[in-house]
Amino acid sequence: MSAGTHADRSVTAQGHYAGSVSRFLAYAIDITSSSAVFGLALAAISYVAKVVTGHEVSWNRGNVVVAAVFVAWEFLYFGYSWAASGKTFGMAVLGIRVVMADGSPVEPRRGVLRALVFPLSFLLFGLGFLGILVQRERRALHDLIACTAVIYAWDARAARLRFLARAASPGTGGDRAP
Amino acid sequence: MTDPLETLAQHVAERVLDLIVNALDVNALVRHLDVNALVGRVDVNALMRQVDVNALLDRVDVPALLGRADVNALLDRVDVGALLSRVDVNDLVSRVDMDTLVEQTDLGAVIAKSSGGAATEALDAARSQAVGLDQFIDRWAQRALRRRHQAPAGPPALLNGQAES
Repeated sequence: MSAGTHADRSVTAQGHYAGSVSRFLAYAIDITSSSAVFGLALAAISYVAKVVTGHEVSWNRGNVVVAAVFVAWEFLYFGYSWAASGKTFGMAVLGIRVVMADGSPVEPRRGVLRALVFPLSFLLFGLGFLGILVQRERRALHDLIACTAVIYAWDARAARLRFLARAASPGTGGDRAP
Repeated sequence: MTDPLETLAQHVAERVLDLIVNALDVNALVRHLDVNALVGRVDVNALMRQVDVNALLDRVDVPALLGRADVNALLDRVDVGALLSRVDVNDLVSRVDMDTLVEQTDLGAVIAKSSGGAATEALDAARSQAVGLDQFIDRWAQRALRRRHQAPAGPPALLNGQAES
C-alpha cells in the first residue's frame, strides 16, 4: 500500500473508533513513561535522603508502601489525564482520545471513573480488553462501565498536506512520509 | 422634336417637386405618424436573422473600444463591498482542490519547510501505520465473528459532524 493511500486512510478514519494496535501502543508508551517518571522520582528522593541523612536508601520492589504509591501514581497519571483532556501522553502520541460514548468531550468525573475501573479490564487474563476487538464500538470493559469510547483525533488532514508537500518538494524527505 | 419637349417636362417636374417639398412641413407630418404602430409592424427577429453578427463583431476594434473606456471610473462606480457580500467565500474555498494546490505550487515547499521536522514526519508515519494495522486486525476480527451488519465507524455525534461538513 502506498504512502499516499496511508495518508488518505488516516484522514477518513478521524472521529472513528480507535483500534487495538493504536490503543495498545499508547498504553505501552504511557506505562513506560509513567514508570520512568516514578523511577526518577524515587531516585531523586533517595539522593535527597542520602544527602540529608547520610544513609543509603534503597527501594525494594516488594515494598508495600512503594507498590501502593506506584498504584496511586498510576491512578493519578491516567485519571488526571483523562479527566483534564481526555488523553494521556501515549494517547497524544498516537493521536487518539477518550470521549463520551456519544462522541461528546469526556466529563471529568467519567475520566476519573475510567481510571478507577481500568484495572478491572486486566482481571481474568485481560478479558476486559477483548471488547476492543469484538465489541461493535471497540469499547473495553472500563469503557462500558464509564460510558466512554476511544477515537482517532489527530489532525490527519494536516499530516496529509505535509506528506504532499514533502512529496512535491525535492530534498525535504520525499517518499519517507506516511 | 421630342428632346426639347422632354427637357422642358423634366424642368417642370423638378420645379413642381421643389415647390411641393418646400410646401411640406415634415415635422408636422412626422407628428401625425404613429411611430409605435410602425415599429410594431416591423419583425425585428426576422431583421436580426439577416444580420451577420459575427461579421459585425469582426469589424469592431475592441482594443480601440477599450482604450476609449475609462476603466478606473467604471471601477469607482462598483460597490466592491456589496459584490463581496454576495460571494459565498466558504463555498468558494471548499471548491479549492488543496491537494493539487499543494502539489503544484510553492505552497507545498512552504509547508514542508515550516512543518517538515523529522519528529513530525515520524509521528505522522507512526500514526498512519497504527491506523492501518488497526483496520487490518479489525477486518479479520469481523470475519472471525461473521458479522453480517457493519458496526458503526464512530460515535454518532462525530459521524453526524463529518456528514455535515
